[in-house]
Amino acid sequence: MSDSKTVREEISRRRMLYVLACFYGASLTGCELVRSSISQNLGHRIPDSIKSSGIVGSGREVDLDFHTLSRISFGPFPGDLDRLKAMGASYLEEQLHPDSIDDKAADVRVRRFESLEFDMHNMHEFKKEVLRSDMARFTMLKAIYSRRQLLECLVEFWSDHFNISIDKGDCIYLKPADQNNVIRKHALGNFRDLVLGSARSPAMLIYLDGKDNHVSKAGDRPNENYARELLELHTMGVYGGYTQQDVYEVARALSGFKLHDRYRRGEVYFDRSCHDDGPKKILGHVIAGGGGEGDLEQVIDILMKHPSTAHYVAYKLSRYFVSDNPDPQLVKELADTFKETKGEIKPMLRQALASDQFKSSLSRATKFKRPFRFMVSSIRALAGDTNAGAPLVRYLERMGQPVFQYPTPDGYPMESQPWMGTLLWRWNFAMALCANKIESLSVDLPRLGEALNADYSPPKFQNKIFPYLVGRLPDEGERQAFSESKLKEQELLAMILCSPAFQMH
Amino acid sequence: MPENTKNSKDIKNTKDTAGKGKQQAQSQPLSESGGQQTRPGGRAAAALTVDFAASEHCLVVIFLRGGADTLNMLVPSFDDDYHRFRPTIAIGKSLPLPASAPGALAYGLHPQLAPLLPLYESGELSFVQAVGTDNLSGSHFEAQDQMEHGSTFKGGHVEPVSGGYLGRLLALSSGPLGPLSAVSMGTNVAESLRGAPSIAALSGIDEVVLEAPTAETAAVSATLAKLYGACSNKELAGAATSTLQMLERIKALGLRQQQENLRKLKGANWQYPDSELGQGLRDLCGLIKARVGLKVACIDSDGWDTHFVQGNEEGLQAGFIRDLGNSLRAFQDDLGPLRKQVTTVVLTEFGRRVYQNSSLGTDHGRGFAAIICGGAIKGGRVVGVYPGLKEDPSLTLAPTGLSVLIDYRDLLFDVMKQTFSIDERLAAVVFPGIRYKQILSLPG
Repeated sequence: MSDSKTVREEISRRRMLYVLACFYGASLTGCELVRSSISQNLGHRIPDSIKSSGIVGSGREVDLDFHTLSRISFGPFPGDLDRLKAMGASYLEEQLHPDSIDDKAADVRVRRFESLEFDMHNMHEFKKEVLRSDMARFTMLKAIYSRRQLLECLVEFWSDHFNISIDKGDCIYLKPADQNNVIRKHALGNFRDLVLGSARSPAMLIYLDGKDNHVSKAGDRPNENYARELLELHTMGVYGGYTQQDVYEVARALSGFKLHDRYRRGEVYFDRSCHDDGPKKILGHVIAGGGGEGDLEQVIDILMKHPSTAHYVAYKLSRYFVSDNPDPQLVKELADTFKETKGEIKPMLRQALASDQFKSSLSRATKFKRPFRFMVSSIRALAGDTNAGAPLVRYLERMGQPVFQYPTPDGYPMESQPWMGTLLWRWNFAMALCANKIESLSVDLPRLGEALNADYSPPKFQNKIFPYLVGRLPDEGERQAFSESKLKEQELLAMILCSPAFQMH
Repeated sequence: MPENTKNSKDIKNTKDTAGKGKQQAQSQPLSESGGQQTRPGGRAAAALTVDFAASEHCLVVIFLRGGADTLNMLVPSFDDDYHRFRPTIAIGKSLPLPASAPGALAYGLHPQLAPLLPLYESGELSFVQAVGTDNLSGSHFEAQDQMEHGSTFKGGHVEPVSGGYLGRLLALSSGPLGPLSAVSMGTNVAESLRGAPSIAALSGIDEVVLEAPTAETAAVSATLAKLYGACSNKELAGAATSTLQMLERIKALGLRQQQENLRKLKGANWQYPDSELGQGLRDLCGLIKARVGLKVACIDSDGWDTHFVQGNEEGLQAGFIRDLGNSLRAFQDDLGPLRKQVTTVVLTEFGRRVYQNSSLGTDHGRGFAAIICGGAIKGGRVVGVYPGLKEDPSLTLAPTGLSVLIDYRDLLFDVMKQTFSIDERLAAVVFPGIRYKQILSLPG
């Protein structure tokens, strides 16, 4: 392709984008209404009747199916529990095969974000603020409305595991490609594809300085940034058994990748003159000299075969899906599956979700929801209708979990303690949500009440509405707190979302 | 594990060659800390408490996340090796620090730290050279975790301890502490505060308000207090209690108005940068002036992980340094006479390599220079011996850099001791396993 042709293409694209932007700016409100109504007709609404109560036996423990839904999804949407109870084990299989699930309703909701459908060469046409907002809204809408909920959970999981902050360099232009071509594409696939895809992802090459890791003459020192995090965070874990020497050797092996900065902006290429082509010794394995670009795959293969990688991935998945303190035996079993299947993700998930520890009543409602999950699960439970506009994004920022903006490569913490300071903002969000006071988000509580055949009278509130949201009956302390409260109707409902029970999943 | 023995040997070797004279004694605790020594101290100290109510003093910890390259902040201009290892990124035009004593090394200051120079000259600010942990992992997260929990690195791992070092300090209080005794600026609660009787996480004072759109806030608070009071998850119940108390306290103080009044009163004699650090320190100053019972506060500055084109007098790191210098200076100016009661410490998880990498940045290293400002601590000096810069072949078990000659725990306990007049025997409670040695009494 000649350069002049590319330039012409660039110009015409620019003009088209401008026209598109004007069109969108002018007609936003009308579009939003249409989208939301189409989406509702496609099934994003409260069913006429919700049968499952969320109570099993004495109602003291969280219902196992409710527990399952609160781990393989961002919390039940009205009707989900009925569906899971009707389908049994095939529900999980369906979730493991997201392509088999019709997701038009969610697609309609996210189709508004033109920017995310452009290829990465043309992303620079957009203002950073547009991309930042589009990515956040896209991510929230998918989490709220997609029926492929397990996929969305894994997208969250891998987005943290291979964290990239869009605040560094050009990452903001290239993260959409990373999200589509690496994280979403392989979220339920094979771990090797994820690592390799991430290693070659333009956004990652910027975020961890891979594109500037050059060794072109004697005495040049490689940039170790990516090499260290590849070992520490992406594969082996910090105590996985590598040394500083291994980090240095991996950095040498991965030197020479660069990004185009004009035409085909953002695309990766390999510059052999900046690659350290000598032999390397990594974790006891020798990579012969002269390997060039192929060194990367050799490094990944060494890491894939290392038992620490299997263990680390197994541990993190168990921690996310099963318990903050996963049983070492369970982790070992998952790690064995990783080794046998060479990094297949689905079999590990099946194993984790079928485990005794997962089903145990001791594991239920023991994980503290991070702000993103707290907000999404609240909106899902009440079937909120939203375009995830600026007010919602601001709540998320305020609670310290803005999308793709965690600065350091370890991703948003899984531990509960760092999030303990966010209670006030959760309470404010829940009260505003139930009072229909959040612009761009509405809930239809009377309709939800009808579907549940419940009202705010104490028995119905405690025996229907509370279990619907929490998966069990209120305990003595909760009953007392509600019955003594001066709050009424939707104010009281908000208190369930504010309560300690709803902070857990 | 053979690796670990090797590792600990490495530490000793580094220090033995680096330590000159008195410094050798200083370097001992790192490799020998822990062990039986702590137990008797711990038992004796168990009955001791800290009377926080006795003074208005408080401690502010600024954490530079990412591993700050302090070699370009407190510049060893006198060392030819420094310029040799950093042909492109060395700070050539540093501001000379006045010598604190005859024969003291002639360090320079990064030009963007100029706002701190008057504080140094008036004896209110000092540097402590070659501070660090014994962490060999080279990982930000492990090193930060270790520092904030106040533990050691043993057998190739960070030794688990319960709570953070500031949390343990506050838990020693002889009397009840208020809801704003421990403040973490930002959304995330600093790990070092874990275990404190009460922790408030604030992004800004003006945002601390319970917004009940339709109901009475008192009724909401009452219901929440009952729901969380009956909750068996103690961590969650404690966080809710802290939050509810903080709301009450801030409301009762009318802090927002007070801040506004103070600002009008003082005019714009100081200029806080419009950064998280600057604005956070501004809010902290408001809390301190309002005498809400603040004892310790934690605040972060992000982005110091300068692997790539870090710049020198200008550039990427210079921007962070400018923000730090201006924020700290504005904080001191704003505090006015109160700065005698407020000690500020600036820390990072590790320093960086002595040499520049091929992308004109620096990779993870070891020791760093801490900054101590205000309070009753004697400033105008660089505490600690300069370990020199050594050629680093990189092919070792752990990242190298400036050698660590001062255990960060000794320094932090010294600062706490001087700020809150704490009994020395409490060192082993605040930092389990420590064999405490004074740092700030060393000649500069």
